Amino acid sequence: MKNLIVLSLLATLTLTGCTTTVVVEGTVPTPLVRKIPARVGIFYDENFKNFKHSEALEAEGNWEIDLGGQNVTFFRNLMGSLFDSVSELPEPEPSPQLASQLDAVLIPRIEKYGFLTPGLSGLKFFSASIHYRITMVDMSGNELADWTVVGYGKSEGGAFGNDRALGEATMMAIRDGGARIAIGLTDRPEVAKWVARQGEIHNEN
Amino acid sequence: MKTKILLLFAAVVLAGCVTARVEEQRSANTGILTEEALVILGRASYNDRETEESFTDCLASALGGGDQPVKLVDQEEFKDSLYPWFEPRTAPASSDELEELFQQPGVAEQIQQSNVRYLAWIDGDTITTDRGGSFSCTISSFGGGCFGMSYWEEDASYEASIWDLENFTTAGAISADANGTSYLAGLIVPVPILARPGNAACKALATQLRSFLKDA
Repeated sequence: MKNLIVLSLLATLTLTGCTTTVVVEGTVPTPLVRKIPARVGIFYDENFKNFKHSEALEAEGNWEIDLGGQNVTFFRNLMGSLFDSVSELPEPEPSPQLASQLDAVLIPRIEKYGFLTPGLSGLKFFSASIHYRITMVDMSGNELADWTVVGYGKSEGGAFGNDRALGEATMMAIRDGGARIAIGLTDRPEVAKWVARQGEIHNEN
Repeated sequence: MKTKILLLFAAVVLAGCVTARVEEQRSANTGILTEEALVILGRASYNDRETEESFTDCLASALGGGDQPVKLVDQEEFKDSLYPWFEPRTAPASSDELEELFQQPGVAEQIQQSNVRYLAWIDGDTITTDRGGSFSCTISSFGGGCFGMSYWEEDASYEASIWDLENFTTAGAISADANGTSYLAGLIVPVPILARPGNAACKALATQLRSFLKDA
């Protein structure tokens, strides 16, 4: 029995030794952008809130990247800075009561996450990319816009800090994706048209 | 006394030879008040090269210290306070874009509040241009040792483009190039003779940048 425990412990230690767990951390800056005069509801699905990426690399073992927590914190702050008022929705379709207080619903999703290590790319850096898909619907359920934003990030690799470097690259990818959403949101013709309409409604009231 | 001589000998022998060259190009008069600050930003692009964080850290440390320290604002703090305008893919590519950037809500106020007068964009990196030789270490039950000699040549090439945030102009540019060859000799124990061209380029650029900002 004692031998079995020792063997199990040894096996656990050996197996966990091959897995690099990456924690994504970083500051959450508030964007300096003009607020859109609209009340929006945001629905974050479970995959978005708890996004984890696991990958087994032949030469570099298993990698586990947990970015959901930092990603959702970043988006909550980002969305709060982009619109006059933001309500987080428990479901993609708001209740009739809540719908009457909103102008549109935004649904951000993570479609894909990928990373490269210096061993794979032959470069000095760890790099990460996140493919976000943003869907915007009006209160009648019509799709106003649907687009993809790709956030990129890279960070210098270190001899003993591979997990830290990939965490930084991932954080840079979240920031880059957020920056592109913040700056490019009103550049989309369909969103620009909707924003102009909201401005007119706002002025009428 | 003996220890001092040994340390001096080690420092002379173990430091490889580096040659550095600095060039300055001035487009406008400068000058910095004691309360005004400089931000050093590493240019990041999505190709295979990027200015190393260690280089911008070295510059910040060299400029922030010494007899005539320059007031500095931390680059991460600066980027956070002006998010999303100084991210790798959104940062202004030239000083011509500054005027437009200052029209964004809160940007001018934020820069005024942080007292940043100049922005130094650092572009460049250190690369290994040549390597050769043969070096190996062995260990056995009878002992071990290293034999052989290997070398590698590094080239550090950096440029600082200085933007004046008060006038929305490029005040000038300073470039620093340094190269040197490092050796690793195996005489039972490995003896490294390291050239640090990156460090030499950093010191040269910092000295020139300080004088560029302080002199009109």
